[in-house]
Amino acid sequence: MPRHIVRLVLLMVAIGAVGYVAKIFFTADSFYEYGHYRGKSVAEIASDKPKYKGSEYCESCHAERFAEWSKGVHNKSDIGKVVKCEVCHGAAGERDVRGMFEHLATGVDHPNKLKLVVPTDARKLCTLCHEKMPGRPAQQPQIVVASHAGTQQCTVCHNPHSPKLNLVSTAPTPIRGDAARGKAKAAACVGCHGAEGVSVNLPGPSLAGQNAAYFIAALKAYGTGARDNPMMSAFAKGASDDDAQDLAAYFAALKCQSSLTAEKQAAAAGRATASKCIACHGADGVSSNRAWPNLVGHSKDYLVAALRAYKSGSRKGNMMAGIVKTLSDAETENVAAYYAGASCK
Amino acid sequence: MEENELEQQDRRDFLSCLGSALACGAAAVAASALAPPATAATAATAGAKPPAIPGYDWSKHRWGYGVDATKCIGCLRCVEACKKENNVLGDAHHFRTWVERYVYLEGEETARIDSHADPVNIAASGSEGEYRFADRYKDAKVEKAFFVPKLCNHCTHPACVQVCPTGATYKTEDGVVVIDHTYCIGCQYCVQACPYGARYFDERRNVTDKCTWCYHRITKGLQPACVEVCPVGARIFGDLNDKQSPISQFVKNNQVQVLRRESGNAPNVFYVGIDKEVI
Repeated sequence: MPRHIVRLVLLMVAIGAVGYVAKIFFTADSFYEYGHYRGKSVAEIASDKPKYKGSEYCESCHAERFAEWSKGVHNKSDIGKVVKCEVCHGAAGERDVRGMFEHLATGVDHPNKLKLVVPTDARKLCTLCHEKMPGRPAQQPQIVVASHAGTQQCTVCHNPHSPKLNLVSTAPTPIRGDAARGKAKAAACVGCHGAEGVSVNLPGPSLAGQNAAYFIAALKAYGTGARDNPMMSAFAKGASDDDAQDLAAYFAALKCQSSLTAEKQAAAAGRATASKCIACHGADGVSSNRAWPNLVGHSKDYLVAALRAYKSGSRKGNMMAGIVKTLSDAETENVAAYYAGASCK
Repeated sequence: MEENELEQQDRRDFLSCLGSALACGAAAVAASALAPPATAATAATAGAKPPAIPGYDWSKHRWGYGVDATKCIGCLRCVEACKKENNVLGDAHHFRTWVERYVYLEGEETARIDSHADPVNIAASGSEGEYRFADRYKDAKVEKAFFVPKLCNHCTHPACVQVCPTGATYKTEDGVVVIDHTYCIGCQYCVQACPYGARYFDERRNVTDKCTWCYHRITKGLQPACVEVCPVGARIFGDLNDKQSPISQFVKNNQVQVLRRESGNAPNVFYVGIDKEVI
């Protein structure tokens, strides 16, 4: 065979050999271990740290909220509807990012440094699932946002952890005040709210039998200026937390008495209008939830004044503001008479 | 003349020699290319040591995924969870899973389709990093509408794996198509090959990325992030080998269908409640 042909063949063999060696040299160890890929990459991909940790992860520290949630409508595992903690609050685990993203790794999970979101704009969050929209299945509870709540936040009425209950909180707030101490302190209140907390033709509302939690919240509102009344603001600013607790305990323990009976005729007319109030304040003026005030035992004048204050905006209340808008003057009078005439039980 | 004959002889010899050399070379190349996968396949079926994943044996599982479109409310929590869980790029146009809304208006033959990446929906959410469907059909007469969550189908015969020139993407023994990002050269053949548009290119890392059914979660006994956060149970995941698993029950108790059956990829995401326009 001519020499140039031999050279050519040798060159080809050499190239082949170099190529083969290069292939052996450059192929990763575990390539072809299971197939045409790097076998070790399987375990590498599986080694990432999960970010979403599940609701059980939250339970150990947030037992109270967890219990609330687990009994509520956002945890209906029997029909497959479960809104887990991390759906609204974000992932609790921050994973370490491998490779070129190592600089992004914080390496901490939620309780350590990583703060979770407490959503402030419930209107934006809740409507992700509950805004009425074509395509959403009928079994999904949906609202027309504009007519359902105006511009109010969902959390004014709904507890996001257990929204079906409809009201902010049903858990009774423990009252640590002392009624006996409260009685002494109540001397300052008698002038306007009446002896034994029963206001008869006095400027203030009756306080006897009032829910303690509402009493404390109302007093606090006067103290902070959220509710404004020249008389009450002055008293409230001078009252400590302990005073509020003691007074609340005292008045809550008193027996409510109907202030006047003269208005009972108008009361009959107010019964129909009262349907707007019953959901929160009860048909008999005893509220279904301790966060709201009882209406029983108040004078008609006080109730009318309160409704007008809401209507004019001088008294603030997200729920009430929406409701009084719909009341005419006559209806206001009548519904006030209706509740003024409700008998104490 | 003699010399000429010799030359011709040589040429003939050379050609025959070259022919056999080429044949030999081709055989050698074929052997070196084919032999390793062949041995690997036999090794895998013969129970070679599974990948070193603590407490997990991939030969015991065959993962499957179900989507119940009759339950989906289009809240897009799955899209957000997937992005967080897998460090997907934050803008609206890179995603491993997405939800499509199909709306048939009265008098229209075809559906109007949009997803979270639609400009109207981006405007409604406020930014590209948040995801929500705008209530854009509230004043229209809607005849029929539904949401369809989509993701990688983890096909039994994945076209994307077939076209990968480097062996960077592959199907695991337990049925998940994943990408070895250290081997991906960013050629994007797989992005083109996927009939479902389930892959995206990550310009940050210059690699292709896709849904892994959260392989790092399922190998630890957890659910994929999208299934974990779905508030209405529209996404179902589990082991098809386990007859009691949610996915086995889902496939058994429903008339399930798959997307683009005719593509021959044999997808493993099973759908309920979609109509013929969903592909």
